[in-house]
Amino acid sequence: MSLVSVAKAIADKKLSSREVTQSCLDRIAQWQPRVNAFMAIEAEAALAAADAADAALAKGKNSGPLHGVPLAHKDMYYEAGKVVTCGSKIRRDFVATTTSTALQRLKDAGSIRLGSLQMVEFAYGPTGHNVHYGAVRNPWNVDHITGGSSSGSGSAVAARLTFAALGSDTGGSIRMPAHFCGVTGFKTTVGRVSRAGAMPLSQSLDTVGPLAQTVEDCALLLGLMAGADPEDPTASTLPVPDYVTATKGSLKGLKIGVPTAFYVDDLDSEVARVLDETIAVLKKEGAEIVKVELPDQRQLTAACQLVLATEATTFHKRWLIERPQDYGAQVLMRLQNGLAIPAVSYLEAMRWRGPALAAYFAAVTGTDAVIAPVAPMPAVTIAESDVGNSLDAEAVIQRITKFTRPVNYLGLPSLSIPAGFTKSGLPVGMQLIGRSFDEAGLLRIGAAFQRATDFHQRYPAWHE
Amino acid sequence: MTRPGPKEVKAMTDVAGVPADKEVAERIATSIGPAFDGFAAVAGTLPFDLEPASFLLVQTAKVSK
Repeated sequence: MSLVSVAKAIADKKLSSREVTQSCLDRIAQWQPRVNAFMAIEAEAALAAADAADAALAKGKNSGPLHGVPLAHKDMYYEAGKVVTCGSKIRRDFVATTTSTALQRLKDAGSIRLGSLQMVEFAYGPTGHNVHYGAVRNPWNVDHITGGSSSGSGSAVAARLTFAALGSDTGGSIRMPAHFCGVTGFKTTVGRVSRAGAMPLSQSLDTVGPLAQTVEDCALLLGLMAGADPEDPTASTLPVPDYVTATKGSLKGLKIGVPTAFYVDDLDSEVARVLDETIAVLKKEGAEIVKVELPDQRQLTAACQLVLATEATTFHKRWLIERPQDYGAQVLMRLQNGLAIPAVSYLEAMRWRGPALAAYFAAVTGTDAVIAPVAPMPAVTIAESDVGNSLDAEAVIQRITKFTRPVNYLGLPSLSIPAGFTKSGLPVGMQLIGRSFDEAGLLRIGAAFQRATDFHQRYPAWHE
Repeated sequence: MTRPGPKEVKAMTDVAGVPADKEVAERIATSIGPAFDGFAAVAGTLPFDLEPASFLLVQTAKVSK
């Protein structure tokens, strides 16, 4: 069941929150030893919260659109009184004293907490490896990566251990696990969702967003989380549209751009096939497909790296001095990279963001979205991508994230949708890249695609 | 814009207060070098009056199609 359907079933008293929560806990007990998606499982507290939700509903008290729905989120969203590890050894015992705005808004809508989800150490890595807590595994094939850094979120949603999960996307960390694990993931426009109480990685690039089974699920969650927040002055004050209603529209009259270069170069043959098939579906559903010549995306990738590396290193500088031995080798290496970027280079990259975004908009004028692969390849194996801090590690990372980073640099929204499978049964996702704050437009396209396909409804089988 | 070599990286990490040894400096230079190469065509070409905040103006000015 999707998030939207289970929330309705609970609200209509066709299912109790306890039944739903117990069902999630049963699946978690079965899958967790295999996929390592959870950081903490809080079964007793979850069932108590479910009973309270059922009791409230029996008295006619419905706390919101997520009443009694069990969820788990990436372990970087602060919740007062809870340990929030951020996937790290350094914060193994860190107890939050505040609750993140995004999380609080989902709690206010009635959701209950199953526990917390694994992630890459400090959200700084695209594969899902974690030397402190073990790699998260892809439920479609446990020898393969989930993608990161929202590794637990991708794995848990794919294995149907939670109905949805918060992730975060600074360089591709929602879209990557969505692509590799076969779920829907939504990287929002910078500023669309408050980042208050979310572990920072890069203040200019960090975004909060959901991973879920369907586009409609993402629309529901985004509508609950988006909007101004006094705790985060960078959160936009633009009005929040009705995202769920946006999912009902058709593709007729919409124009979708297909890049002529970069995003279509050097693709794995099966990713290229899925891209062609996705375009065919969009066309069949009524969209007009046009070619777009984008500005040099490699420059955007480079600028993104200059910004991200500098800002991440700045956040971590104190621990780099005091506790370098407590970082995993790869994360330490990547944080050290930021030490070698002159302030002038960083600020040039920041100054160029406006003109770069204007040039992108000029290139896509007249289109409603651009379609592109999330990554050039399906999920590689955990073994082959376990590059640690080797000399070629950054090159491997850059190859995996080459299609996501330009979007982060430009601060654009991007919706990753399950779009097909490889012959060996690994999922392949495609990203729809939109205009700033036009999340509604992407949800419309993504939902129409999901009405015409069933990739989002498939989930990995349990094999003894 | 020139990518820093291990020697420059070593000096920069010293100045930053997080000194790197020779091996780490070499690794940093290898890792970050492509970003400098990729941005080289833009570096040093931006107009005088360009504010970093222009990004926010472009972002909000282009909400509609």
